[in-house]
Amino acid sequence: MQPEPAVLLAVLALPFLGAALIPLVYRVLGERTAYFAAGVAAVCLALLFTQYGMEGRVVVEWIPQLNANLVLYLDGLAFLIALLASGVGVLIFTYSGGYMHGEPWQAKYYTSLLVFMGAMLGVALAADLIALFVFWELTSVASFVLIGHYQRSESSRYAARKSMLITVSGGLFMLVGFLLLRFVAADAIGQATFALVGSPDSMIANAEAMRAALEESGLYLPVLALVGIGAAAKSAQVPLHIWLPDAMEAPTPVSAFLHSATMVKAGVYLVGRFRPLLITDEWMLAFAVLGLVTMTVAAILAVGATDIKELLAYSTASHLGLIVAGFGIANVYGGETGVLHILNHAVFKASLFLVAGIVAHEAGTRAIAELGGLREDLPITAGITAIAALGMAGLPPFNGFYSKELLFEATYEVGLEHGGLWWLLPVVAVFGSVFTFLYSIRFLMLFFGEKPSGLGEVHRPPWAMLAPPLLLAGIASYQALSYTGILPQVFLSGIADPALASVSAGEEAHHFDIHFPTKLSPYVLMSVVTIALGAVAYPFYDRLHHGVRRVRSVDLLSPNAYYDGGIAALVSVSDYVPRYVQTRLLRTYASTVMLGVCALGLGGYAAAGADIPAIGQLAQSVAAFVAGPAGLAIAIVLGVALVGAVAVSVAPSHIAGVLTLSILGFMVAVFYVLASAPDLALTQLVIETLVLVIFLLVLDKLPAFYGDLDVREAIPDALVAAVVGITVTFTVLTTTTDRPDTIARFFVERAPVPDEHGHVLLDYGGGGNVVNVILVDFRALDTMGEISVVAMAALAVLTLVGMRNRGENA
Amino acid sequence: MSQSGQRGPTGPDTDTTVIARTVTRLVVPIILLNAVALLLQGHNLPGGGFIAGVLTVTAFALVYVIFGREYLQRELLHSDASDGFFDGAVGEYSRTFTFGLALAALSGAGAIVLPAALGGEPFPFLSQAVVFVEHVPLYHEIEIPTALFFDLGVYFVVVGALLTILAVVGAE
Repeated sequence: MQPEPAVLLAVLALPFLGAALIPLVYRVLGERTAYFAAGVAAVCLALLFTQYGMEGRVVVEWIPQLNANLVLYLDGLAFLIALLASGVGVLIFTYSGGYMHGEPWQAKYYTSLLVFMGAMLGVALAADLIALFVFWELTSVASFVLIGHYQRSESSRYAARKSMLITVSGGLFMLVGFLLLRFVAADAIGQATFALVGSPDSMIANAEAMRAALEESGLYLPVLALVGIGAAAKSAQVPLHIWLPDAMEAPTPVSAFLHSATMVKAGVYLVGRFRPLLITDEWMLAFAVLGLVTMTVAAILAVGATDIKELLAYSTASHLGLIVAGFGIANVYGGETGVLHILNHAVFKASLFLVAGIVAHEAGTRAIAELGGLREDLPITAGITAIAALGMAGLPPFNGFYSKELLFEATYEVGLEHGGLWWLLPVVAVFGSVFTFLYSIRFLMLFFGEKPSGLGEVHRPPWAMLAPPLLLAGIASYQALSYTGILPQVFLSGIADPALASVSAGEEAHHFDIHFPTKLSPYVLMSVVTIALGAVAYPFYDRLHHGVRRVRSVDLLSPNAYYDGGIAALVSVSDYVPRYVQTRLLRTYASTVMLGVCALGLGGYAAAGADIPAIGQLAQSVAAFVAGPAGLAIAIVLGVALVGAVAVSVAPSHIAGVLTLSILGFMVAVFYVLASAPDLALTQLVIETLVLVIFLLVLDKLPAFYGDLDVREAIPDALVAAVVGITVTFTVLTTTTDRPDTIARFFVERAPVPDEHGHVLLDYGGGGNVVNVILVDFRALDTMGEISVVAMAALAVLTLVGMRNRGENA
Repeated sequence: MSQSGQRGPTGPDTDTTVIARTVTRLVVPIILLNAVALLLQGHNLPGGGFIAGVLTVTAFALVYVIFGREYLQRELLHSDASDGFFDGAVGEYSRTFTFGLALAALSGAGAIVLPAALGGEPFPFLSQAVVFVEHVPLYHEIEIPTALFFDLGVYFVVVGALLTILAVVGAE
């Protein structure tokens, strides 16, 4: 069934409208703005549910002539991601109502969080690559603002800059990939299109043809790499994962929302969405390896974490790796792994982040070493943590176990099918999972054992903070029970199955078939090995922890060190910019601007293949002109003008220079009179007079005589002048020798000189002055633009010159 | 030139000659009259909003050079230098070009709004029309093109913008 256009649009538009209203709402409601935002998210969620089960696209026309429309598409995968964004959004906003109590800049916080939610819904619903890209980058921008929420702290700013640089530059790689896809679509589909999904002429609908065309043009690997870099940057895949642990500078609800449940899912969403389009063996090699390496490396790093949010951040990167690996694997289980783990991970990781927020808020520290025995003070939180952390560890029968089983199954099948080195996939999957088990149990142990003596009094959290993780834990328990077969499998059949259909490519129709394993199969054995190894290794957790920290501190192995080094290099390079570009000397700016214009102009002519007009032809037409009726007079006038021009360049003082320049200008005006262009002549005269008067005004501020000429300065200036002169001459020659363009031909045909002159003008324009009628009637829109430019120039002078000292005082 | 000597509260605030000041007094009204004539006749004879605007600015610039900035603001615009940045002359000028731009845009929107209001098909933006008013004393027949309003907008933009630039740069 087709989704209802108005409802789908409302789902997308409401968060942005809500964000625009937040500053006003905040004045009225104060800290209770959280519940307004939660309401907005809840409405989005409710509207989304009304569209449950629909599939199809919604086109909002913007510029139909240019085929520029906003196209939304709803299917299982889009629904899943949109569900996470709005559903977790409701919980996060509610939780923020408790967490953000007494925090600064709340209006900014809720505004950017709502904008983020809207952008994430946009990413999920976008049906073409441009909309996808725009919303994608918007999530990065919102994330930048949110990570830098405590804008006065240096570490917040560092973290915000880092995430911005990595995710946005990743997005730019992706954009190049999108452009290549559009280029290839011209061959494969018959038209260059950005449509990704949903229509018969979209890329995914023609996946086979697209893949063939990509392979043929040799662009498959570049596109795979570019899109992969975009997804990897966003989903914190090794080695681009370094921004995610730093992003924990953000308030904890932000971490829970952006950096576990939604924004980082944009990357895996992209991988899932492109899976049917690009899936091949190369795809599998790239993403399965990337995902498994990320999963393992990030899990090891999580063991080395000293802070609970840092632990969760690395763990998030690790689980995103698992999802990417799932989508990377080209068999049915791969797709199942990805889809199911998106759902499971969002549930358990969001609740763990919220738990971390409660612990940090109530115990006053996030250091793992200082925490323990929290069970006595936070019994409900401990229960929530047990359900979520055991799910994260992959222990049966909790939700994470089932998606991990699917990963083992998928990797095992790959090893069975391809053999050889592909057997490494299941081995790495088990190896990485051991570490996942270790840090999950370590997180759980915060609540058990003895309470360290340094830990002060731990308060009970308010209900606004406790209810959301409790609800998530409820969902997680339901998932556990339903996968096990005790309760109906609502999540599987209702949400995961439709999403599976969106990521499946060419595989036969497939449905989830999940139940508690009762027989010993190879992948059950893999789970057993994982848990057994984890249980054996857990007593040595502290040694592993210190070992990881020691390896991490080696600069050569740390992507962070490369990042910091790169940034430092950029900073030192940019120190050179003011020295050569921003010299605070007008002459530098003038020559930069003029040379830039000349380069663009001449480059344009070169690209368009403009010819240099033949000099002979030019001389011929000049001769014909001089031989005409007013030839002698014109020759004299131009001769005087030439004398004036020479006089300007040798004038000893400003007065002489200005006056001789005026000779030149007035001679040009006389030339216009002789060439029967009275309007031009009038304008030239008036302007010339005005310029002269203004010159008189500023003249006494300038030195009376020119200074001595410095050859070292004069030669570059002369070069610039020569280039500008050549460009202008060339421009005049090419534009005037060209054939009359359509506007000119229009008037030449309809208002021939002199008999019928004015006939058409009178009929259509109601005036006899051709210049003026063109200006105010035939081409009035051009004039409108020109006077806007004049007004803009005045505004620029007003603000740049007249108000330049106001910034500091106002 | 406009460099000030001693300035009394009422006396001339510049040190230009009597000849220059007398000639300016005489010439400025003529220039302004010419500007208006150019503006009105623009549709059929050489002229138009742009030229008229520049000519008007020339008249102002002349007053500026000969009598000084303060005189221009005090005597012609009835604002004095103690007014804030936007309350003084610059404010007047910027309001002028804002008005001009609005007038031009509105005259264009008229082509859409007016026919619609009279129950007809709207014309595209900036379509112009001509109305002939007959039996007018002395002129017999006056032609009023709607383009005149657009041209007036051009005129005000040019006057306001150039005077703004002149005032701001001149104040430096």
